Amino acid sequence: MINQLFESTTIPVLEQVVNFAQTRHSLLAGNLANLDTPGYKVRDLSPQAFESKLKQAISHRHESATNRSLGDITQAVNNPIGQISGELETFLYHDESSGNLETQIAAVSKNQLQHNLALSIMTSQFRLLQTAISERV
Amino acid sequence: MFSTLDISTSALVAQRTRVTAIASNIANVSTTHNEAGEAEPFQPRFVVFEADNSIQGPGGAPGVKVASVEISNVEPNWKFQPGHPDAIKQGPRAGYVAYPNVDMTTEFVDALEATRAYEANVGVIEVTKNLTQQSLKIIA
Amino acid sequence: MTRITNFSLPITPATAPAIAPPAMKPQESGGSSFKSMLVDSIQQVNSMQVDANKAVESLFTGGSANPAEVLTAVQKADLAFRTMMQVRNKLVQAYQEVKDIRI
Repeated sequence: MINQLFESTTIPVLEQVVNFAQTRHSLLAGNLANLDTPGYKVRDLSPQAFESKLKQAISHRHESATNRSLGDITQAVNNPIGQISGELETFLYHDESSGNLETQIAAVSKNQLQHNLALSIMTSQFRLLQTAISERV
Repeated sequence: MFSTLDISTSALVAQRTRVTAIASNIANVSTTHNEAGEAEPFQPRFVVFEADNSIQGPGGAPGVKVASVEISNVEPNWKFQPGHPDAIKQGPRAGYVAYPNVDMTTEFVDALEATRAYEANVGVIEVTKNLTQQSLKIIA
Repeated sequence: MTRITNFSLPITPATAPAIAPPAMKPQESGGSSFKSMLVDSIQQVNSMQVDANKAVESLFTGGSANPAEVLTAVQKADLAFRTMMQVRNKLVQAYQEVKDIRI
């Protein structure tokens, strides 16, 4: 029941986005470090694949929301949104093209912006929940 | 998301390709024969840009891409050097060596222009990032 | 009791009469009761929350949403919820006061 407290907000979705952004950041940093390594293949986590997976998980969650009963703790374990972080390896692809400095840096920038955006929204959602719980505005 | 950054990045990549072509031209200003060893002067390369519709910002703003790297076909500079291994043996130009017709001034000015374009695009990227960071203040 | 009429919040009609003690009915309505107005405003706040959640989800699943729009929607829903929270607190407080009236 306590886990369902978060189901009505966007917190699970944002959690996954933040996790993805952080993992992708370390991968891109590795690319930048290896820009001049001969024969190095650029590695990346595909954000498009992540977004479509997330979309599927969200619609799946909305469908199964009506079947969820109060006090069913095991539902949290099978939460479809939580499964994305376990499948991050499937999004990895090896690029044949040489790592362009500008494209890598741009990817790092975009990733950072997305991460900060998701984190800010998640923080405000947590604050809202705290307001509701403490009844103090 | 953030397709504006993609547009600026495409411009950075295109300008860098242009500067690479210019650098190659300047490096080869005295190259009298090509990789196969034939007596053919180096022809300056130039890049052709075109609007790239696969990178679309909001409102349909396209990015840029290098359509092709063309090899120009200009008349080489002829210098009279009979002892040079690449000198022409017979004909009206016997004893002349064909040097590439690379105008350093034009190349340098082009390089300057490409540098300024690169800096301008980096400035635009900074502004884009700043906009998004500032919009976070709506929430916090 | 002064009425606050210059709010630019979306739930203005419900805010003003709700801050008065619940024994007073709002003058302007003949048909709608105080209770239905309150329930309406709660539903409005809920729909704002739902819209904000949808906007956030579409932003992170590749929708064409503008980050500024999504952030504004989230903040609006936030403020609406806090306002309703405050209204609810005042109502409970008023009820306590009335309950403590000694006859």
